[in-house]
Amino acid sequence: MKCAPFDYVRPAGVGEVVTTLRQAGGDGKILAGGQSLVPVMAMRMARPSVLVDVNRVPGLSSVETDGDAVRVGALARHALLQAQPDHPLLAEAASWIGHTAIRTRGTTGGSLAHADPSAELPVVAVATGATVSVAGPDGVRELDAAELFTGMMTTSLADDEMITSVRFPRPSRWGFAEFARRHGDFALVTAVVTEFGDELRVTLGGVSAAPMRAHAAEEVLAGGGSARDAARAASEEIEPTADLHGSVPFRRAMAAEMVRRALVRTGVEE
Amino acid sequence: MSGEPTTGSLGRSVRRKEDQRLVTGHGRFVTDLELPRMRHVAFLRSPVAHARITGVDTSEAVGTGVRVFTGADFADVELRAQSALPSYVETGQPVFAHGKVRFAGEPVAAVVAADRYRAEDGCELVEIDYDPLPPTVCAWEPPEEPVHAEAPDNVLLERTFTAGEVDETFAGAAVVVERDLVTNRHSGNPMECRAGVAVWDAADRRLTFWNGTQVPHIVRNMIAELMDLPEGNVRVIAPDVGGGFGVKAVLYPEDVALCLMARAMPGVPLKWTEDRAEHLLAATHARDHRYRMRAAFDGDGTLLGIDADVTCNVGAYSVYPWTAGIEPLMAGGLLSGPYRLAHYRATVRGVATNTAPSGPYRGVARPASVYAMEAMFDSAAARLGLDAVEIRRRNVIMPEDVPYKMPSRLVDDSGHYAECLDKALDLIDYPSVRAEQERRRAAGEAPIGIGVALYNELTGLGRAASAGPRMPFRTGHDACTVRINADGRVTVFSGVTSQGQGLETTVAQIVADGIGVTYDDVDVRIGDTDASLWGFGAFSSRQAVIGGGAAHRTAQAVQAKLLDLAAGLLEASVDDLRVVDGRISVVGEAEPRISVAEVARVAYLESHRLPEGIEPGLEATRFYDPIRGAFAAGAQVAAVEVDRTTGELTILSYVCVEDAGRAMHPQIVDGQIAGSIAQGIGGALYEHLVYDTDGNLSTGTLLDYLMPTSAEIPEMVIGHVSRPAANPLGVRGVGEGGTLGPNAVLAGAVHDALGIEIDTLPVSPSRVWEALHAQEVRA
Repeated sequence: MKCAPFDYVRPAGVGEVVTTLRQAGGDGKILAGGQSLVPVMAMRMARPSVLVDVNRVPGLSSVETDGDAVRVGALARHALLQAQPDHPLLAEAASWIGHTAIRTRGTTGGSLAHADPSAELPVVAVATGATVSVAGPDGVRELDAAELFTGMMTTSLADDEMITSVRFPRPSRWGFAEFARRHGDFALVTAVVTEFGDELRVTLGGVSAAPMRAHAAEEVLAGGGSARDAARAASEEIEPTADLHGSVPFRRAMAAEMVRRALVRTGVEE
Repeated sequence: MSGEPTTGSLGRSVRRKEDQRLVTGHGRFVTDLELPRMRHVAFLRSPVAHARITGVDTSEAVGTGVRVFTGADFADVELRAQSALPSYVETGQPVFAHGKVRFAGEPVAAVVAADRYRAEDGCELVEIDYDPLPPTVCAWEPPEEPVHAEAPDNVLLERTFTAGEVDETFAGAAVVVERDLVTNRHSGNPMECRAGVAVWDAADRRLTFWNGTQVPHIVRNMIAELMDLPEGNVRVIAPDVGGGFGVKAVLYPEDVALCLMARAMPGVPLKWTEDRAEHLLAATHARDHRYRMRAAFDGDGTLLGIDADVTCNVGAYSVYPWTAGIEPLMAGGLLSGPYRLAHYRATVRGVATNTAPSGPYRGVARPASVYAMEAMFDSAAARLGLDAVEIRRRNVIMPEDVPYKMPSRLVDDSGHYAECLDKALDLIDYPSVRAEQERRRAAGEAPIGIGVALYNELTGLGRAASAGPRMPFRTGHDACTVRINADGRVTVFSGVTSQGQGLETTVAQIVADGIGVTYDDVDVRIGDTDASLWGFGAFSSRQAVIGGGAAHRTAQAVQAKLLDLAAGLLEASVDDLRVVDGRISVVGEAEPRISVAEVARVAYLESHRLPEGIEPGLEATRFYDPIRGAFAAGAQVAAVEVDRTTGELTILSYVCVEDAGRAMHPQIVDGQIAGSIAQGIGGALYEHLVYDTDGNLSTGTLLDYLMPTSAEIPEMVIGHVSRPAANPLGVRGVGEGGTLGPNAVLAGAVHDALGIEIDTLPVSPSRVWEALHAQEVRA
């Protein structure tokens, strides 16, 4: 459980990060909090030839209000998200990530770039329609969170791109519910309900390769359906897979229950 | 001799000797050891469960400058666990697999390099060719290809325990309960994984082996035998050890490999620190059992007979030196637990599979067997409309039944189970929990259930109380050496070992009180075979009884010599002398006459003052063997809330009452009970080592193998029934009992709450949900 050999670079600015990644020719990896990357490197399941440590890049660690949203720097630690008062849904979601040590190191940009389908922040990013700022060789581009996640732990980021910040709009009402075996574990199901204008969105994590909107459930709600009806619709539109923690029917039932709880917490009639 | 001391440390929670270093981060673990010229070892492990090895090529690795050892290097050394039981099939375990591999994770080679990173780089360059064989993962499915040629059906041992007339009893019973129960493979997972440093001194032909072991003297004996060395030339040192739980009571191929490789590289200390992935893969597992249980009751709930068939998955090898019999024989010997039973038949077997070897783990088999036994009572109570507590009361062994010969012929000397149960019910306020259960049922609120388990822990086994697999050694005794130094302070060289249980403290308390000096004046040295004469080590909840008994006997012998010498100096009669807190006085006199320090000075430095016939020095060595064992009674009761929507359990209250005999250090006793219940809860609800059908471990990291954290463990209420045992200190072992209850208590609580029988562990949310779902479908 020791890493294979790699080179280590610690750039001082985003431009240098991008240049270094480009020079690595697809074989570089950004080290931010390291909470997911370092274990897989220790298991030699990831073997980057260059590790680009972005922890000394200035200006990426803040959380700021930006109109009706909160802009989070890529290096903002989960502990900071948990403590900030301006986006209560983000704070709640961050409190479910791992344990204190993990939240103290892990970063927002790292979590989104890692794109674990059972991680909390990607679900919140999709649920709030977050905008992700990405620096690359041609400058900064912005993309919708839904366009970022392309599959199981894969994103639309190019090898020489780096997330610099994420803008999370603030929902008028919201509800969060998660089912995990122990507090701090990756979720078997995360359900996030967000209200923007008169639209209720239902977003699920842990049930598919990437966070997904439960459109059937949203239609039930748009038609005035109850939380229970929407929960049932959500459980039927997902295609979970069985694993050590449960069968397909169990996972559907947990998805339904978490959607129901998140909706009730949002204030939707049971 | 001295009378009752006016002060003393036994029975008080004195400050632990080891806490200064352990709590401040100054512990000295094997991994902390740095020696000149040290090299680091990484083991290459089989990626497949069962295969013939058809080729080994180390040339590329060797070309990078590392040293590589493979199966061919040590093919003549084999670990062969031995038992005199007639059905036992003896098999061997190689140091490095050669010919074939028998489980995924088995060591096949080792690389020695300047650091662990380079050693792992080297492992990637060693080429091993495997020709796959069909693996066997489940012990109750017939093998396509046996694990060992010597056992074509994979059965390494089978034994039937019988008493009374089983078939007739079942024919005449009012109620027969039948359940097939499967318990979940899991393991002890100490915070510190395995570790070793071995160095060979070629000039003196001496081996020193620092080993994170629970059993240093056994390791020395076995290493000397396996390497054909004089035992006195092997020194095993177990420094601070970060938890053991039985996992470290085993001699592993990796241990032997380190020593053999060290001999091949004279003067170069070789270090191996196991990581968690290796630990989950290749340290011993446990509790992978199936119990086919039938129980016969009469109409009032009296247990008449048990007919059981128990299969234990013992993994790929008969664990050295305890054998494949350790779990099945314990299961068969103690299945009936603290209950009166006349008609008993239990066939137990240990079956080899292509999985990691099973070994001793805190509670050995009984967390599973207690679950199986208590399930019979829960089911029978439901059938007969009896309360779970009442049916147990009608069957439990009472003080007037003691000594009670169990149907397996073990003799129970406790009988304090009902007393433990009564106290536990008081502590949980049983009537009000039942009332709350009813209230919730009526109100349609989240259901709660109450789980109950009674158990007996067989502790401190002497030479005549062996419940084990008739190995070529008996573990009934330990030795202790007590030395009063020239300054009057005391150094103890005890054969006990500690992996966090505070044995330095307990032994110091015993010796301080046994001589009559203060606790602070006693230092205890443990874990070095060059310093201590003999001790079998930490297992079977034996050290308080046996190691403690040896310390007590030795302290008394030293006190006798001390007083002989003092009597000569004072020209007083020995019978009139008392020694308390390091001062010796004459009966009837207000002031002490002389200090222990002054007498000790004479013993070593002022031989001209030695009385006639008294040898210099103040030291003694004694052994102790309790001959029989000491049963420790226990009862656990919990109230558990079940979330019907998710199947999750919330433990509302958890009570345990045990009979630890006389508690020498109450805080340590409570710590043992709390820690063992926490491990039991981990096994009951979370921990599960899962293999896929190809024999790959699916739970290879702590991401998938779920250990409980402090957040998952409830507050516990611990109560005591202190009935002194028949040994010099009146103590009973307390290290394992806590693990015996949680499976039965938590599965029983779900049964009580929802009326569903949990036949497969762990009691995971999905298991409960599936059972509830099936119940709803039936309804």
